[in-house]
Amino acid sequence: MTSTMASFSSTTPHLPSFSSSPKTRFPINPFLSLTPQRHLLFASVRATENGSGAAIVVEEKKEFETKAAEEDSLGNGAPVAEVVVKFEDPKWVSGTWDLKQFQKDGATDWDAVIDAEVKRRKWLEDNPESSNNDFPVVFDTSIIPWWAWMKRFHLPEAELLNGRAAMVGFFMAYFVDSLTGVGLVDQMGNFFCKTLLFVAVAGVLLIRKNEDIDTLKKLIDETTFYDKQWQATWQDEKKE
Amino acid sequence: MASVTLKSFIGLRQSSPENHHPSITILSKPLPSNQIHYRRLNVIAGKSSPKITGRNLRVAVVGGGPAGGAAAETLAKGGIETILIERKMDNAKPCGGAIPLCMVGEFDLPLDIIDRRVTKMKMISPSNVAVDIGRTLKPHEYIGMVRREVLDAYLRDRAAAAGATVINGLFVKMDKPSDKYAPYVIHYNAYDGKVGSAGKKVTVEVDAVIGADGANSRVAKSIDAGDYEYAIAFQERIKIPDDKMEYYENLAEMYVGDDVSPDFYGWVFPKCDHVAVGTGTVTHKPDIKKFQLATRLRARDKIVGGKIIRVEAHPIPEHPRPRRLSDQVALVGDAAGYVTKCSGEGIYFAAKSGRMCAEAIVEGSENGRRMVEESDLRSYLEKWDKTYWPTYKVLDILQKVFYRSNPAREAFVEMCADEYVQKMTFDSYLYKKVAPGNPLEDLKLAVNTIGSLVRANALRNEMAKI
Repeated sequence: MTSTMASFSSTTPHLPSFSSSPKTRFPINPFLSLTPQRHLLFASVRATENGSGAAIVVEEKKEFETKAAEEDSLGNGAPVAEVVVKFEDPKWVSGTWDLKQFQKDGATDWDAVIDAEVKRRKWLEDNPESSNNDFPVVFDTSIIPWWAWMKRFHLPEAELLNGRAAMVGFFMAYFVDSLTGVGLVDQMGNFFCKTLLFVAVAGVLLIRKNEDIDTLKKLIDETTFYDKQWQATWQDEKKE
Repeated sequence: MASVTLKSFIGLRQSSPENHHPSITILSKPLPSNQIHYRRLNVIAGKSSPKITGRNLRVAVVGGGPAGGAAAETLAKGGIETILIERKMDNAKPCGGAIPLCMVGEFDLPLDIIDRRVTKMKMISPSNVAVDIGRTLKPHEYIGMVRREVLDAYLRDRAAAAGATVINGLFVKMDKPSDKYAPYVIHYNAYDGKVGSAGKKVTVEVDAVIGADGANSRVAKSIDAGDYEYAIAFQERIKIPDDKMEYYENLAEMYVGDDVSPDFYGWVFPKCDHVAVGTGTVTHKPDIKKFQLATRLRARDKIVGGKIIRVEAHPIPEHPRPRRLSDQVALVGDAAGYVTKCSGEGIYFAAKSGRMCAEAIVEGSENGRRMVEESDLRSYLEKWDKTYWPTYKVLDILQKVFYRSNPAREAFVEMCADEYVQKMTFDSYLYKKVAPGNPLEDLKLAVNTIGSLVRANALRNEMAKI
């Protein structure tokens, strides 16, 4: 089994705070001091697998060789100082949002906290960072009270959906009345109408876009898919 | 004895009140009466399988990992003539190497096999929120980290001590018998410890075969067991400086995030004197190197100054093969596809399924005095599915809910901070029983889970607006 050595260069100075610089990124390039022996490793990796994993190993090898070529042109043996951009924000203190800095009119501005966390997560999704034990992230979204979430997210959507349901309901009530002469109060007493009402409410809640119908079908399939895979060996037996 | 076998069989077919998972009711679809007659005939026929004269039942176990070793030992102890065929005796397999506490007790593993006892885990979310779990562990509870070459060799040696013949060879193919009780002919290349040689072609006749030859099982291919979806697990073993190694003394880390894996997790597991940093994926296999880089990036500050000493990869089955047995050939372990979702755990299940299959053979053959039938092996499948289905299903649900997307993973890590969750997780993991738990706490947990998911998804929707 050939072995290979690679060493990591240590972490580097931070860039100034994120709000002032645009999203510049310096490529983190830990492979710089790799020897070209690396591709031999995949031959040995292939030997450890039982042969049938060969297709996957070949893919990796190809991908890897192009990467090695890239790096050789970039690096020249001497390790380049890596510049790492980290998430920095004056209100982000010791791994959590400093609520004292979010005060507005004497009370905490929870919307601003939510906005700040959204920006942080977006930043981290685009620039993943190393998790460091000396600067642990301890922010928990549950410190934001439930009513702040309601006000910001639930209420506008609830308004929208209730509006839709009301419009559909009014039209359906009118339509049924015009067809059958049964008024609104009498409609509510009828089982079929109550069922229609239930379907309408469920539809408004579950289906917001056309794609949601497919999504729901897929979800229902998903819940039983694993079971079917396990039962497969028993289907065989029933056929006997 | 025939009626007892009959009752347990039918008992599975009907939905019994104490079963609290849906799969058994699926199994209990009422069979038309003519089929039931056929089933009864089948079982009675099994009972009258011919006695073997002059020798004991011969069984070949193909593959000498935990599944093969455990199966061979149980068979040998049961008085059956066993051969165990293993192609590489010192195989250092690419593997996380984590075994639950119950395995140490159930398989009487000596404590010196365990390199490290992990008693703390750190779960790290996509936004680097880090949660420590393990406070609820009692002092005697731990996750054992083993070197596969040490564990596998130990189990094989124990099988040999019990009377199994351990053969260094590579299984090539198997001739199926034309007759019902005719033997299977196994073709293998005997290496006899010589490295690099093509080996001597040997054939041996056996009455039953246990396929324990792993994810790329040749035995499975020869019985047309069908394929499964598999994940690629990629791992780099990194030797880090001693002061950094101290941090991983008894701690393992799990990184979740789209950067690390779209449908699995990245890990840093401590091994004997180095750490294993790896990740896996089912749906985006060509990008595995990218995911590995991302995992190393996330752990960078903790593994800085490390040297990669080995790179390895292997397929991991995601679900059982469509056919796990055919006549007198049964699959166990990775060959059958018994790896859990969510955690990707397979060592314990491999060993346990090997043992269960062997026990079924010993019982069905009355300690090697009679031939075995397919129905004897089916009873192993029944017992396995009945015992471990809840565990597999719960882990599948967890994977579907919490590995879906970044908000789901953030919610997952938030939930892990809860002590009740930690206790339930460790109890289920360490003892392989889905612990029932306290209904009030379960309700609170459900509410908190939904809350976390809602919050994380709300944040995610806002993120899309930026």
